[in-house]
Amino acid sequence: MGNHWFWLLLTGAAVLWYSTVTVYVAFKGFADIQTMLKKLGKSPEEKP
Amino acid sequence: MNQFSWWIDGSIVGVYLLGTMIAGLMVRKYVGKVEHFIVAGREMNVYLGIASLAATEFGIVTCMYTAQNGVRYGFAGATPGILMAAAMFLVGVTGFCVKPLRDSGVMTIPELFERRFGPRIRWLAGVVIVLGGLLNMGVFLRVGGEFLVQVAGINPDKLEITMTILLVAVAVYTILGGMLSVLVTDFLQFIVMSIGLIAVTMLILVKIGWKTLVDTVSTHHGAGGFNPFIHPELGWPFVLFNALLNLAAVLTWQTTIQRLLAAKDTRTGRKVYTGTAFFFVCRFLIPGIWGIAALATLGSTAIGGDTLHAMPRFLSTFAPVGLMGILVAAMLAADMSTDSSYMLTWGSVIYNDIMAPFRKKPWSEKKGLFWNRSIIAIIGLFLLIFGLWYELKGDLWAYLGVTGTIYLASMSTLLVACCYWKRANNWGAAGAIIAGAAIPALFLVLEQLPTTKELAKAIGPYYSGIAAYAAAALAMVIGSLLKPRGPRLSTKEAVNG
Repeated sequence: MGNHWFWLLLTGAAVLWYSTVTVYVAFKGFADIQTMLKKLGKSPEEKP
Repeated sequence: MNQFSWWIDGSIVGVYLLGTMIAGLMVRKYVGKVEHFIVAGREMNVYLGIASLAATEFGIVTCMYTAQNGVRYGFAGATPGILMAAAMFLVGVTGFCVKPLRDSGVMTIPELFERRFGPRIRWLAGVVIVLGGLLNMGVFLRVGGEFLVQVAGINPDKLEITMTILLVAVAVYTILGGMLSVLVTDFLQFIVMSIGLIAVTMLILVKIGWKTLVDTVSTHHGAGGFNPFIHPELGWPFVLFNALLNLAAVLTWQTTIQRLLAAKDTRTGRKVYTGTAFFFVCRFLIPGIWGIAALATLGSTAIGGDTLHAMPRFLSTFAPVGLMGILVAAMLAADMSTDSSYMLTWGSVIYNDIMAPFRKKPWSEKKGLFWNRSIIAIIGLFLLIFGLWYELKGDLWAYLGVTGTIYLASMSTLLVACCYWKRANNWGAAGAIIAGAAIPALFLVLEQLPTTKELAKAIGPYYSGIAAYAAAALAMVIGSLLKPRGPRLSTKEAVNG
């Protein structure tokens, strides 16, 4: 395998990281959208 | 034989398109001000920022070139992704340039330059950014269309009309909802795109296998397929050029910066950078693996010189029904998120910086929104005419590299000097813009002229690119030192106006 371990590790990390982050960002990002729209929906007087 | 089923895969794509349009149009009611339209009222939080940045920076065109790198250079072709991830992580952690930029409260980079270098430099920077950006983006639509034609088996005669309908759909929600629509649709597109990318990669790893991929790279590229420094076509100039290019892109690429400026505060903006950093490894490595899989399956003889279309050709027969629908929806998501963000971002520079001299008095929010929307519509029209109906001649990669460097070399130099060098001034800034644009443009001319073609080939795109960054930096230093000293301001005072 020589120096191919680097690419094997990187590929494994990429697939694992991407799968995990997609699920995590999907939940947290949805909450971010809700908060953002809630803040933008407030009239200027209501904003702190 | 092509695996795309119009009933099953077509339905998956249809549901995705419908969902995106509804989401994009629903948020338009929140847009009441220009600030909402351009930077989403600066209310974007970390995870939405990560989804949006990742979706924007991955289009079909990205997938095509990174896969082509896999075919042509093996794993070594993914090196730019590693360099970009490193640059993004370091910039996010240290706040290098991005902290003073976000702290300044500007909506675009040229707006910051005005505070330090004056209105003329702001205008000139705006022109260079838009020229480089729009010319770069001009070819996205056609390359995206070619991918879909290959993978989904669409009749090539219908390419123009299919991509026109898609662009009109993207333009409609971008024009109405601006950055808010872009962020919300980017979020959906990130999820769809990620599912498709992960699913296809897993299938390749299971069905083709890691050993076959490694053996294919070894057979076709030898040790250079795993190490860019010893690849005969790459070497240290490739690594150095990509390090400079990616650092400059992280600091000044308008779509990336727009996420930083839309973040609710500087800390959030920096977190978006560190959180998205590793995505750029995936951005190069995952399609790179698709490219290597294409080489393993089709073989170099069948691919011939057309390395760009090897990956879609491979996928058209590899992905089974169902997954094919997810793949096409994922690639449409990648393309739509890129197109909408790019239209918005270049539009915002045209409005905010190039049109600044025409706004002697502040415009009403209504007038500002009208102009922003009109500019995006015009950019959409430009994309259609230039990118779809006009067939580009010559090498596409060289074209993208040159247009990108024209903008990135000078803008990154200006930004670093603006934030950290007290002596920097408008003479140096003008010199950097001219030098940064002149060298890549000259290289392109040398490449086209029959008498100088061989000279351009001997120099190569990497040395020419490195020279552009060096010349922009040198011009900034020499120009700034030549100008007599004015009133002394700290860099912080100058940046914050």
